[in-house]
Amino acid sequence: MKKIALTLAAIGLATAAQAQTYPQRPITMIVPFAAGGPTDVIARIVGDHMSRTLGQQIVIENVAGAGGTTGITRAAQAQADGYTIMMGHMGTHGAAPALYPNLKYDPTKDFAPIGLAAGTPIVIVAKKDFPANDLKGFVDYMKTNGEKVNMAHAGVGSVSHMTGIFFNAVVKTKPTMVAYRGTGPALNDLMANTVDYMTDQIVNVAPQIQGGNIKAFAIATAERSPALPNLPTTKEAGLDGFEVSAWNAVFAPKGTSPEIAKKLSDALVKALDDESTRKRLLDLGGVIPSGAERSPEALQKLVESEVARWTPVLKAAGATAE
Amino acid sequence: MPTSHERSSPERRWSIRAPQNFAGGISLIALAALALWLMSDLPRGTLRSMGPAMLPDWLAIGVGLAGLALVASSFKPGEALERWSLRGVFFILLAIVGFAVTIRPFALGPIAIPGLGLAVAGPLAIIVSGFATPEARLRELVILALGLTPFCMLLFGDLLNLPIPIFPQSLTGLFPADWSQKAVLRATAALMIVGAAAVFFLGRGHKADQVDVAVQGGRG
Amino acid sequence: MGDFFSNLSLGFGVALSLQNLGLAFLGCLVGTLIGVLPGVGPIATIAMLLPITFGLDPVGALIMLAGIYYGAQYGGSTTAILVNIPGEATSVVTALDGHQMARQGRAGVALGIAAIGSFFAGTVATLVIAALGAPLTKLALIFGPAEYFSLMVMGLVFAVVLARGSILKAIAMILVGVLLSTVGTDLETGQERMTFGLSFLSDGIDFAVLAMGIFGIAEVMRNLDNTEARDIVHKAIGRLLPNKEDFKQSYASVIRGTVIGSILGILPGNGAVLGPFASYTVEKKLAKDPRRFGRGAIEGVAGPESANNAGAQTSFIPLLTLGIPPNAVMALMVGAMTIHGIVPGPQVMTRNPNLFWGMIASMWVGNLMLLVINLPMVGMWVRLLKVPYRLMFPAILMFCAIGIYSINSLPTDVMFIALFGLVGYLLIKLGFEPAPMLLGFVLGKLMEENLRRALIISRGSLATFIERPVSAGLLAVALVLLVLALLPSIRKGRDEVFTE
Repeated sequence: MKKIALTLAAIGLATAAQAQTYPQRPITMIVPFAAGGPTDVIARIVGDHMSRTLGQQIVIENVAGAGGTTGITRAAQAQADGYTIMMGHMGTHGAAPALYPNLKYDPTKDFAPIGLAAGTPIVIVAKKDFPANDLKGFVDYMKTNGEKVNMAHAGVGSVSHMTGIFFNAVVKTKPTMVAYRGTGPALNDLMANTVDYMTDQIVNVAPQIQGGNIKAFAIATAERSPALPNLPTTKEAGLDGFEVSAWNAVFAPKGTSPEIAKKLSDALVKALDDESTRKRLLDLGGVIPSGAERSPEALQKLVESEVARWTPVLKAAGATAE
Repeated sequence: MPTSHERSSPERRWSIRAPQNFAGGISLIALAALALWLMSDLPRGTLRSMGPAMLPDWLAIGVGLAGLALVASSFKPGEALERWSLRGVFFILLAIVGFAVTIRPFALGPIAIPGLGLAVAGPLAIIVSGFATPEARLRELVILALGLTPFCMLLFGDLLNLPIPIFPQSLTGLFPADWSQKAVLRATAALMIVGAAAVFFLGRGHKADQVDVAVQGGRG
Repeated sequence: MGDFFSNLSLGFGVALSLQNLGLAFLGCLVGTLIGVLPGVGPIATIAMLLPITFGLDPVGALIMLAGIYYGAQYGGSTTAILVNIPGEATSVVTALDGHQMARQGRAGVALGIAAIGSFFAGTVATLVIAALGAPLTKLALIFGPAEYFSLMVMGLVFAVVLARGSILKAIAMILVGVLLSTVGTDLETGQERMTFGLSFLSDGIDFAVLAMGIFGIAEVMRNLDNTEARDIVHKAIGRLLPNKEDFKQSYASVIRGTVIGSILGILPGNGAVLGPFASYTVEKKLAKDPRRFGRGAIEGVAGPESANNAGAQTSFIPLLTLGIPPNAVMALMVGAMTIHGIVPGPQVMTRNPNLFWGMIASMWVGNLMLLVINLPMVGMWVRLLKVPYRLMFPAILMFCAIGIYSINSLPTDVMFIALFGLVGYLLIKLGFEPAPMLLGFVLGKLMEENLRRALIISRGSLATFIERPVSAGLLAVALVLLVLALLPSIRKGRDEVFTE
């Protein structure tokens, strides 16, 4: 018994010592999507500054698959020594339990939250010829024409799919859903007037809105975005209950020592305060979390509330990827 | 659908009936049956909203019909089955699977293999697969393995900074603590190259000509 | 027209700066070196090398990335020719005749004509982009789901024409390929199909894994069977570069391939993938002696390679003018641009003319670099074939394993190349050809998605495919091609192929 206690103490000391000298070698940040997507871009921008703070490089490893759950599963099962962390997002840590019944991790329990990185707001866009010019007209049209309208999305489990379902639930409409493989082809058909509307991240649609190829009705955030200053928020346009942005956040596997988590969290906060990092994120139309939203505790609360928010919406729409 | 005589491979052509078509047809039918069985619990839907099973089911039926036609055609004269090489297939499969389970930690049920990284997985794949041919010579393969692996390690790990596991995590303790990851990598690579050179020079006396060729392979 | 020249000179002013020239060179070189790894195509190469461009200024980074792209594309063709392992869908066609040429000791000629054809195609495509980029964008918008489905049907018919030997077996292989493409999560409903409940199958089978298995690994297994066949490859080296006769034989193919590739490259949703197939089909149909195809016809390398490079280049048009990535490579370029703070879209041309025209000019510079780097390297690649096979194949195998692992960091991908290798070996033994299956696989996914999309939008009416003129036209072409392929006289011609 004594022996065990001693061993435990020794391990405790060892981890404390480890935390003091952490990090000694490069840290792997698993991004559960292919390189080049919004989450990957944010991870690389934030990771770049965090590397400078920590004095060790953060290597981005893209492990794509199954809506991001492949990469997160691997990261969750990695050694909790601070050398494997991950960039999770609204899908992997919010919608996944509803979408994937066989999910091998629990977003609320299996992670040590580090902090929120940046989010990208959702914009409601429609084809150029759509017979409505503002959100109110759009919602009214949807209510009377329901199934005649085609909603495009970028595949089951994608941000545009989830937020589209959420929007339809808020507006209480049931359009015909048309799936695409990725945002690009969906936007192409939206511009060609083949499909009617979609909801997607601002970074994907802003250039087309500015170019006049599609029309935008509202942005689903509390405040207007500097990238599209003329676009009203959903609340301003008269729609309550549809506020959503695709958030991205850094997590470590459960059991990561608090000292290491603190070092990572501090580095993340420092990155979010850095002028050039902020500028790069804002250029993307990103939303940077303010002081209180950045703490690990706030992230834990966010994950819990997101799981609670998405599960009923997605289950009601029958969206699972079994 | 026309039934055709099969003479796909130019090397061999002795004419009995057509066992090759027969085996091919049976395989297609089996594949079609497997697909139909796997898809059996998914909805086919209607043209207006096609279910996930509609197209695969059609395709499986098409594959099955093609299989039937092949079986039918096998009663006419055609190609015989070719000779199989079990040795080649076995060692190649073993080498690839060996690489897969050693490159990073792997666990399947009760079996757990610690991640050994490229430094072990690479030579393993080369040496095991080398034995797929009866002409294999161990010494040559060792030189090839110890020459090519450090090349890949330096290219992927050092130059390109790719997150590919390089060496067994448990061995990092052997190096001085203040060495960086890169220094360890370079030291390991250098060690392997020295090893390759050692094996190369030790046996040089006997078969100089073949050894030269091996080194040329190493540059690839 | 004055604009055209002033724009181009602005572009070349940017692209020809010493730093940017160096970056283009470096990009092409690194891209070639990584892309030449078996199974590692442009997508994987760009994804791997993306991070090394982060430290550069945006223009330099994009120029380097474009270089990596062309380099990887050419590196992929090199592997297809030398070891019969296509790194991506578009080099499947190159492998057909290119590898046969290599077996006949004409690897250098194949590599040379590929490089020269690509350079010509790249030059033309660069001019097309600079002159017609904006108006051509409209073409992308004509292609809705119905048109795209019909285009894919036409592509599958190409696959029948492309096949050698038994048409029945070719059709069976195409069907199997399409069937394989349906494995994984259903795009519309999210239900998993034929995954055996395995999570790594839920995204479907990866092209690189399938191609490497049934082409590359299976080829190694087969070579181990018959010692005679493989020794031919290693003894004869032959001429290093194409001679006058070769040029005479292939210049028309290069021009046709360039035109076909340029047009198909503009289409959304990876239309470029059809370019090489279409070019090959055209060449085979136009040839005086179609039997040479599949047995080392130089036109079968020159045409598709030109189409491939032309398409690779014109697929930048939707990205540059609309900001819409038509395929996975372009999606990566979008990511690269956004990391550098440039959001691609219609405004890039007016807001960052330096970047826009610099990049277009650098495309041509990149193509030139490719020629400069690769013509001298041809000799080196060809000499690699001299390495005795007992040493060559273990090296190929290890490179395959590393290459496939580095794409997704998934050991299961590595295991799957073993599985598909075995499958490919069985196919060869049963007299099936893997190429039509791979084509079915590539086109199948696009075909199913667009079929279902078109039917959802038309509310279940099949008439939509005939009512829309472009779609109807494409289906008609497909039908004509199919009839031609099935005509008994042509079939007879096919069978004669095997009287060596």
